[in-house]
Amino acid sequence: MSNHDEPDLKPTPGARATNLLKREDVKRTMVFGLIWTAIFVVLGLYAYPKWMPTIMSTDMKAMERIMIAFTVISAPIAGLVLGIATQAITNRHKGDTPPPDGPAVRTNGPVVIIWSVVSGIFCLVAVVWGIAELNTMANAATADAKESIHVEVTGSQWVWSFKYVDQGVESDKLILPIDRPVEFEVTSVDVNHSFWPVQLGVKVDANRLQTTVVHTVPNKLGAIDIKCAELCGLYHAYMETSGEVMTEENFNNWITANGGHKA
Amino acid sequence: MTTLHSTSTSSRPIPNPAKSLITKLNMGTGTVVGVIFALATYYALKPIPDDPGFYNQQNKALLASMFAWSIGFLIGIGAFIGPFRWLIGKDLTAEEQLYLAGDGQGIKRYFKYCTDHKVVGIQYLVGVMAMLGVGGTMAMMIRTSLAVPGGHFIGATIYNSLVGLHGITMIVAMIIVATGPFGNYIMPIMIGARDMAFPRLNALSWWVLFTAIPVLCSAWFLGGIPTGWTAYAPLSIQAGPGMNAFLATIIIFAVSTAVAGMNITATVVAMRAKGMKWNRVPIFVIGATMSVALAIPAFPTFMLAMVQTATDRVFNTGFYDANVGGSGWLYAHLFWIMGHPEVYVILLPGIAILMEITPVFVRKPLFSFNAAVLGFAGIAGLSVLVWAHHMYISGWTPTLNGPFMVTTEMISVPTGLIFLVLLGTVWRGKPWMKLPMLGMFAVIWNFLIGGITGIYLSDVPADNYLHGSMYVTAHFHYTLMGAALTGAVAGLAYWFPKMTGRMLNERAGYISFWFTQVGFQILFLGMFIAGAEGQPRRVVSFAAMYKYQNMISTFGAYLVGIGFIVLLWAVVHSWRRGVIAPKNPWGAKTLEWTVPYPVPLENFDELPVITTDPYGYGKGN
Amino acid sequence: MESAKVETSSSKRLISALVFVVLGVAVVGTVGFTLHALSADPQAPLHATKSSETIVVDGKTYPKASVTMGVYADSAQAAEDGYTLNKKDYVQYGPSTHLILPAHTYVTMTIHAYDGGEELNNPYFGKVVGTVGGTINVDGVDINAVAPDKVQHTWTLHGIPSTSQDPLFVNVPLPHVDEGEDGFLPTNDPGTHNKGHTVVFSFITGGAGEYVWNCEYPCGDGSYAKFGAAMSAYGYMSGKVTVK
Repeated sequence: MSNHDEPDLKPTPGARATNLLKREDVKRTMVFGLIWTAIFVVLGLYAYPKWMPTIMSTDMKAMERIMIAFTVISAPIAGLVLGIATQAITNRHKGDTPPPDGPAVRTNGPVVIIWSVVSGIFCLVAVVWGIAELNTMANAATADAKESIHVEVTGSQWVWSFKYVDQGVESDKLILPIDRPVEFEVTSVDVNHSFWPVQLGVKVDANRLQTTVVHTVPNKLGAIDIKCAELCGLYHAYMETSGEVMTEENFNNWITANGGHKA
Repeated sequence: MTTLHSTSTSSRPIPNPAKSLITKLNMGTGTVVGVIFALATYYALKPIPDDPGFYNQQNKALLASMFAWSIGFLIGIGAFIGPFRWLIGKDLTAEEQLYLAGDGQGIKRYFKYCTDHKVVGIQYLVGVMAMLGVGGTMAMMIRTSLAVPGGHFIGATIYNSLVGLHGITMIVAMIIVATGPFGNYIMPIMIGARDMAFPRLNALSWWVLFTAIPVLCSAWFLGGIPTGWTAYAPLSIQAGPGMNAFLATIIIFAVSTAVAGMNITATVVAMRAKGMKWNRVPIFVIGATMSVALAIPAFPTFMLAMVQTATDRVFNTGFYDANVGGSGWLYAHLFWIMGHPEVYVILLPGIAILMEITPVFVRKPLFSFNAAVLGFAGIAGLSVLVWAHHMYISGWTPTLNGPFMVTTEMISVPTGLIFLVLLGTVWRGKPWMKLPMLGMFAVIWNFLIGGITGIYLSDVPADNYLHGSMYVTAHFHYTLMGAALTGAVAGLAYWFPKMTGRMLNERAGYISFWFTQVGFQILFLGMFIAGAEGQPRRVVSFAAMYKYQNMISTFGAYLVGIGFIVLLWAVVHSWRRGVIAPKNPWGAKTLEWTVPYPVPLENFDELPVITTDPYGYGKGN
Repeated sequence: MESAKVETSSSKRLISALVFVVLGVAVVGTVGFTLHALSADPQAPLHATKSSETIVVDGKTYPKASVTMGVYADSAQAAEDGYTLNKKDYVQYGPSTHLILPAHTYVTMTIHAYDGGEELNNPYFGKVVGTVGGTINVDGVDINAVAPDKVQHTWTLHGIPSTSQDPLFVNVPLPHVDEGEDGFLPTNDPGTHNKGHTVVFSFITGGAGEYVWNCEYPCGDGSYAKFGAAMSAYGYMSGKVTVK
């Protein structure tokens, strides 16, 4: 609106860009922005994978991919925002009287438009990525439906129990064979719980008289933790149990040892 | 006071209408009548031990007494004298109205049914600080208990109550933290009005809210609540007598917000000064109005959810009981249809305060007023379409996860505009690093972290893992506390001179700022890590693998606690003996800085006429 | 305006601020310790009696210990047996709900069970899990399950699995007392008039750890899923187990 005090920004776009880049505050902003971007990239690439528990299913892998990718994608935006803020802080005014007047810039149409379009594109990337992952998960669930083992998961205040329908086994521990799709049919006998086998990266609520279904494929041997992720009263914190992903052979042995039969 | 046409009111001697009941009523009489009503109701409905319907009767008796307390208090403080006069075809006399406005009554008027918007603003401010203090104390208890694994310090029953009551106390406090004190005290002056559109409703909104506070506190003495602030059914149906206090609090609070929301909206729409076109309205007013307008449709669903919970508990209606055709999902929908707009009800005024502050402290116009309004409107509009992102893993209609993911992630675009406005305003300026401006930079960081982590959570596959974990807790504290509360504290530092006539002690303010902000980062960094590693939220005890993360969090929490105690000292001390503030200490151009302290009863001797927006800072303006 | 009292001297301010902070911390601390005190066990913890005997299970030698509990339809009934319990009409385990057990020990637990029963919410808890031999001894007879509609209460011990604490899961269903026949089995309890069942079982504790136990039989009458009231209040049908 009032660019009359900045005649140097009037010429050709190329010259304007060069002039802009020559400005001291722009340079500083870029340096700070790059530093912040680097910090977020490092956070995404190293910190998240380190914090995540062992990845034991494709769903957990998808989850970790999203955490890393979104952090890295949003790093330049965070870098820009924090770069501008840091630059402003280094340029601060101290004292008990107000600072000198700044330029009376009331708006900048192209900047508003570019900013909106860019954040729209980032938003689109996130949406498309998420929907693609959702589709992959849904397709996998349908494709695997036939060969899945079915585990009925029942939440009671404050203990989980598992029933291997086809094998005729009940247990307080969740034992799964590796590389075999599993369908959890989750329900509750009282209030709402939420079934969370942590390392498998899936979760679904347990509701009374409803069966909710969640599907995954464990693909790594090892221990899993099963937790409740919905506040369910007095001993919600203790509504946890352990489990294990084992080889098909060990799984069958476990089934037989518990009085079940191979399905 | 719109019906009053006297011109010079503040200096007049107290007109004491003899024998008028109004002069004799105050908080004390309200409390007495309220307690009598409550006790009478309880004894009338007293549950019979050994009766098979004992729990139903107990719930009925407790709920009824809580509502009776609220109504009794309002009768006792004289809230219904005006409407009663209308009912019998009369009205308050001009003198009585002047008395109700608290003219010349000094400190007493803060304990009365006072219609002056400035009195109501101070009542809200003190009330909010008390609530934040109580909620903060509970937060300290939670973190102390979680300092080491095992839950040794506080037992599961009390811990679960702490989690729920900390949550609801803070949510209620945060909903009114900006629109209560600043929306009532500052906003009418900002738009050049003599008072709110409905001064008696204004007083009503505060005193109705006030009656909810003892009700909420009574939850502690009735065995607490096991449900968290979300009060999910059927756990809330199973819960003990303390749950009634929760239900009653929300129902009373919803009445208060409806009254306050309509009043603020009507004031801004109808009572702006001559010439104050929509593009000349201060941005805080726009943000606060959008926030309360958003609350008007949001809170009734919360109230409905609570009424149905109450009937389930009292009459076994079974709205949320799957055994008789009800559904817990119904509750979740009603709750989140309120719950998601509600976080923006909290956030918008906090951000709007920063937009008000920033131009003043960098001496530049607000960058793109239109983008700011669009940002607020976009957030407010989308926020009513995103509620089911809290229900991705509930098992309810998974096909709708996609659409809700889209609406949720779209919110990042208007949110981006908010960042653009703040950053565009500081760009090329020299920010004056007073307390309010420090708050603005802290919010940039906190809201950025809150926003980015929100993108992960809005993504279904990531939420499959993160839902219900400490990660979520850390995320929403970054937005609600890191952004909205920090914004409100910045607003307090900014408007303190206008509301108290004194400057907020700067050194204590800085000390408090650094303690709270640094402590806050430590506190929630620990929680982000524990959550990413798989620690569920709302747990009294956790596996030893989360030991250090929780210890770090607790350490950070103590820093935050000390920071807020220092802030409280600064407020108390400065209010009593701070440096006397000049009329316009920050050199701001909004109308509230044109009136003296103490602000006269009807604010302006002569109503201002507006010819420009209030952001004409900078060279060439 | 109260113009008389303006800004105080800086040293006074500092002292006032410090005192304020100390007081603030003291207030919060007082609240904390009050809640801590209120969180205390309602009864004194019950220590297992260690014996000098040892037993060999699966080739490993364990010292032995024993502990005895009762479960009552209400505390008045329990009081007649000499237990001091909470004074409410709640169904109640006793004499204490906080058990302290020695680590790496063969613990034999006796539960005198004096209540009737209907049906479990989750039939899984009719099965015996986690005891030595997978059985419990009811009035001299070894069984490995109780029909889900013939359970009076369960004693279900669990905890948070973690690397620093051994897993421990025990589920013991207590068969109901047939109230129609005024108790069809006599009890071995000396000096009591109660007819009930005496249930004996053993399990082996791991290393030190914190566990909880609760009853899985829905006995919080009048509340949703019968799991409110006594079931959701610490110290009646739920408690702690400290292994040390």
